[in-house]
Amino acid sequence: MDQSVNDSEPLQQPAPPRGSTNHQITAIMSADSLERLAVAGKGDSTRTLLRVIILLLIAGAAISSRLFSVIRFESIIHEFDPWFNFRATKYLVANGFYKFWDWFDDRTWHPLGRVTGGTLYPGLMVTSGVIYHALRALSIPVDIRNVCVLLAPAFSGLTAYAAYLLTNEMTPSSSAGLLAAIFMGIAPGYISRSVAGSYDNEAIAIFLLVFTFYLWIKALKLGSMLWGALCALFYGYMVASWGGYAFITCLLPLHAFVLICMGRYSTRLYVSYTSWYALGTLASMQIPFVGFLPVKTSEHMPALGIFGFLQLLAFLDYVRSAIPSRQFQTFLWVFAGSVFGIGLTGLVIATSAGYIAPWGGRFYSLWDTGYAKIHIPIIASVSEHQPTAWPAFFFDLNMLIWLLPAGIYLCYQKLADEHVFVIVYALFGSYFAGVMVRLMLTLTPVVCVAAAIALSTILDTYLKAKSPIPEEHLVEEPTDGTSKKVSKPGLRASSKPYIGIYATFSKVTVAGAMTAYLLMFVAHCTWVTSNAYSSPSVVLASRMPDGSQHIIDDYREAYQWLRQNTKDDAKIMSWWDYGYQIGGMADRPTLVDNNTWNNTHIATVGKAMASREEVSYPIMRQHEVDYILVVFGGLLGYSGDDINKFLWMVRIAEGIWPDEVKEREFFTPRGEYRVDAGATDTMKNSLMYKMSYHNYNNLFPPGQAQDRVRGVRLPDDGGPVLNSIEEAFTSENWIIRIYKVKDLDNLGRDHASASAFERGQKKKKVIKKKGPRVLRVD
Amino acid sequence: MKTSAVFSAVLSLLSLASTSSAHGHHHHHHKHSDSGTSSASVPPAFTPPQVFKNVNLVHIVSLEKNYVKESINVVIENIDKEAQSDYILPFTNEQLSRLGGLEVRDRKNAESGPFIVEPVKIELFGPNQYVRVRLPTPLAAGAQQTLGITYYLLSAYKPLPATIKQEEQQFLSYSFSAYCPSVYTTSKQKTEVKFASTNIPDYTKLPGSGDIKEFPQKQGSKLVYGPFDEKPAGALEPVQVRFEFNKPLIHVSHLERDIEISHWGGNVAFEERYDLEHRGANLSSLFNRVKWQQSQYYNPVTHALKEMKFPLRVGSADPYYTDVIGNVSTSRFRSNKREALLEIKPRYPLFGGWKYPFTIGWNSDAKNFLRKTATGGFVLNVPFLEGPKQAEGVEYEQVVVRLILPEGAENVKWTTGIPKSSISEAGVQIHKTFLDTIGRTALVIKGRNLVDDFRDRDLTVTYDYPLSAVLRKPIVVFSSAMTVFVSLWLLSLINLKFTPKK
Repeated sequence: MDQSVNDSEPLQQPAPPRGSTNHQITAIMSADSLERLAVAGKGDSTRTLLRVIILLLIAGAAISSRLFSVIRFESIIHEFDPWFNFRATKYLVANGFYKFWDWFDDRTWHPLGRVTGGTLYPGLMVTSGVIYHALRALSIPVDIRNVCVLLAPAFSGLTAYAAYLLTNEMTPSSSAGLLAAIFMGIAPGYISRSVAGSYDNEAIAIFLLVFTFYLWIKALKLGSMLWGALCALFYGYMVASWGGYAFITCLLPLHAFVLICMGRYSTRLYVSYTSWYALGTLASMQIPFVGFLPVKTSEHMPALGIFGFLQLLAFLDYVRSAIPSRQFQTFLWVFAGSVFGIGLTGLVIATSAGYIAPWGGRFYSLWDTGYAKIHIPIIASVSEHQPTAWPAFFFDLNMLIWLLPAGIYLCYQKLADEHVFVIVYALFGSYFAGVMVRLMLTLTPVVCVAAAIALSTILDTYLKAKSPIPEEHLVEEPTDGTSKKVSKPGLRASSKPYIGIYATFSKVTVAGAMTAYLLMFVAHCTWVTSNAYSSPSVVLASRMPDGSQHIIDDYREAYQWLRQNTKDDAKIMSWWDYGYQIGGMADRPTLVDNNTWNNTHIATVGKAMASREEVSYPIMRQHEVDYILVVFGGLLGYSGDDINKFLWMVRIAEGIWPDEVKEREFFTPRGEYRVDAGATDTMKNSLMYKMSYHNYNNLFPPGQAQDRVRGVRLPDDGGPVLNSIEEAFTSENWIIRIYKVKDLDNLGRDHASASAFERGQKKKKVIKKKGPRVLRVD
Repeated sequence: MKTSAVFSAVLSLLSLASTSSAHGHHHHHHKHSDSGTSSASVPPAFTPPQVFKNVNLVHIVSLEKNYVKESINVVIENIDKEAQSDYILPFTNEQLSRLGGLEVRDRKNAESGPFIVEPVKIELFGPNQYVRVRLPTPLAAGAQQTLGITYYLLSAYKPLPATIKQEEQQFLSYSFSAYCPSVYTTSKQKTEVKFASTNIPDYTKLPGSGDIKEFPQKQGSKLVYGPFDEKPAGALEPVQVRFEFNKPLIHVSHLERDIEISHWGGNVAFEERYDLEHRGANLSSLFNRVKWQQSQYYNPVTHALKEMKFPLRVGSADPYYTDVIGNVSTSRFRSNKREALLEIKPRYPLFGGWKYPFTIGWNSDAKNFLRKTATGGFVLNVPFLEGPKQAEGVEYEQVVVRLILPEGAENVKWTTGIPKSSISEAGVQIHKTFLDTIGRTALVIKGRNLVDDFRDRDLTVTYDYPLSAVLRKPIVVFSSAMTVFVSLWLLSLINLKFTPKK
């Protein structure tokens, strides 16, 4: 407290001019389109028109760079989670909003079912539904699938625009906003979650995130209740769309807190924060899945705390104006200290008493990256929850990542409220992006903004500085302090016009270098998008010997087979990764799916997969399993198969049944994970192993059976024998194998002896047939 | 209850055919429901009058495809004292529900079109139903005429054994009567049964007559029962044959065929949605990929459906092949000046009892199908069916052809080469799609029990398309866009801001 009060003295000084210039700037720069229309024709019209055209082109570039997969493959929903969202959207469109809201889905998590309407973020589906019905109302009969596929690219155009607006709040340079927009439009970090077909919550959430931040900055700068309410509105939309809303819930209080600590408490902050918090929290509580979480869980406590703190400050502000300053000092300390103490003890007591839930597992894993691996294997088993490797930053952000510090530095130079926001956001975002791969997504917007500020400053400094004399007139408004500071003391002192940054050589060098970087950036983004982020993963592409593209479509082959040739309520057991796809494409009930809400149920499936047939069969009977689906990449060399995921199934099962499933038993005494002749007995007898390699060696000449993923030769012992289940379907490249669970034996035998009997009898028959023939020859 | 429902459906479809004018023009306001009056005059208990005699009858039962084609060539003689014009054909209730493409022609006079056939309305619960053939000119007493009767029976076979292994051969059985069912006395007749292969392991043997010891005589892939001597009306001799048919039994339970004409785009877009299933013998043990892959090396004849070929009209372009979960990549399209052949493979080989619904579509230049008449109207000539052309044949249980004409098209008339008895319903509806205001005129024709033999039968539609209708869409789009712009401009004039305090 003490420090912040002292600190505020020197810092207050840049503030007043900032306030006044900001108002001027916003008057000019306000992106309010209505205002723009009014301004048009008063001289700025060319510039406005140019800006609109550039923004439209940026939106076009953002959208078209996300269409690789549609052009290369087809308009198809990608990966795993989007299939659920797509299915939910279809349900919404078919049954209307209220049925969707009350949707109990008995085709997932058999036999538990899932209260889907109450356990999802409906924003995405509702958005698509609204677009679908709006287009229908205009009698444009568009397929709901196409709406879903193209939603993410369409929203990326809006995100680019939101980044433009946000950046314009940070700097008066008009080029910064446009740069931020194009960065946002094509940065791979964002494209990774928003290519066509990637129909996930992030598709709209990033737009909402950036736009909410813009509205927050706007509200904060103007101290406007209207903008605060708008901010709350979009925050509500964000809450309805993505679990990542907690990022806003934590970042805005943090920003407010930092501002307060810097001694920048103001009525603007009070008005904007309280209107956002009060309305936003109410809005967020309307979502059934969120419900009372905002007042019950630790993640939401900072926002509530800052809300209370601001009330205190406002009260103190009032008291200060009412009583003499010395008394006020004492009052302040006593009052603030006691309130803070009471609040903290209250929080601790409420948490320990269970009124406020402690931090969730996913949040713990944000502090300790090793936490999930030990305690919650199901979270650790998801690849996108892994800590980020450092090349990923360059891969996803390329040159933006090294422009980020420069941008932050420039923000420090000005350090108005909004710049504090960028700094806080950048620090916060960088940390989380470093902890979890998928949170790169939340870092990307601030990187784009900061990089755009840095780059535009460089370009403005070098390109706009024509000569020192007119500079003095120009500098006042469009390129205020920044250019002066960056261009070093030479600006005012130098009398020679053609040295330093005024020299054509330096201008050309810097501009040329920056152009080269930008071009490389575009090339990099295109390459990354095309190669890394545009695969639907449902469909695989390969090349024929003649160079033509060959589509490997095993997933859909098997799903379609399930959909057409099994009874409508046949229960499919598979590892949870494929649950959503089976629900979406095969339209069959599943035991577990990608909504990993019930760890025990997933562990049950893991146990069934990891155990011997005699153990698995009762489990499958109890869960009314009709078919089992496994993914096997051995023939094709497809590495994302179930054998490679098998250890996670074992670990998750072991978490619940440590006595029955032991990870150690799947490793050889030397600690190797093997599938060939050296595999452990537990491994060889596990249902997963048997299902993967059943009948596989018959495809090869004797002794030649090879697993191309693990690169090993399989033992020549006739392959695993299955008794209680039978092969029902195998796709063309063996990626999907489906087994049917046998019914109980008619004669009451156990399956092992029943199938042994069948095999035995067949052999006898063969011998009998051969017998007489031999006699005849004799 | 079920049979009665089936029968009434058949009744209505046949009566529709009967009331359609002789030259085949249906007016779209025509309601077929009132046409029942024509047959209502027949008394409820119907016994066919014995006014004809079948002098000589040849019954050909063709089991070469996956449906049954029966043709009866019969010389009839009027044995009544007066001229007669109604020849009666008997069918069982169950047969009628699967019967399609019934056509009766004069064998001696090929040019005269098919005769009018209509059901005879009688009590609904009797085992037999009758279809009346109207001879165009009444047959004088004692005179003779040669009739050629053809019809198809769908879902006719039973696989025997019902389940087989995937590498085994498929055998089918079919039951029929060695004596051609007739309501008249038949003096002389024989029944020929044709098969696709010579492997006919089982067939019912009958005592012979004349110099033939035993029926049937086997001649290659043909069995001949008869000739038989005089048989009374209604005489039946049930026989059963079991034969090798190692090809898929392709059954399309429902086909929706959309044909959309765009005058502005100069394009005709086709889309066909098939509900296809294999009605053959089911697999006795579940699908084995290893065996299947190994068998593919020497490409044996199999009862699984692996591929379908759609010979489209020359000039067809941009084909697509999808199913409910997206594009299917296993298709080829060969297009040149002589042919436009679409070859598609199902996602998985189709065995007995398996289903595979799919969608195909393609475009074609409108000038290949559409022509303008001297009076300013348009004539559209498209194939009624364009399904796959398979050696084993394809049968269609329900076919809905939807011809979507441009918005504002009027005065729609149509005619088709498909037998009238196979058209169950037809009418004009409104179809609303891209930026339509009043909706497009859609002619919907429902057919039933069709087979791929009718692939080359045309559907000809004439309609008027006035200039006002042509210009409707551009005007509507332009004016609504203008409305949006003007209203936006007006909105922008409203000042939403509070007056600034400072």
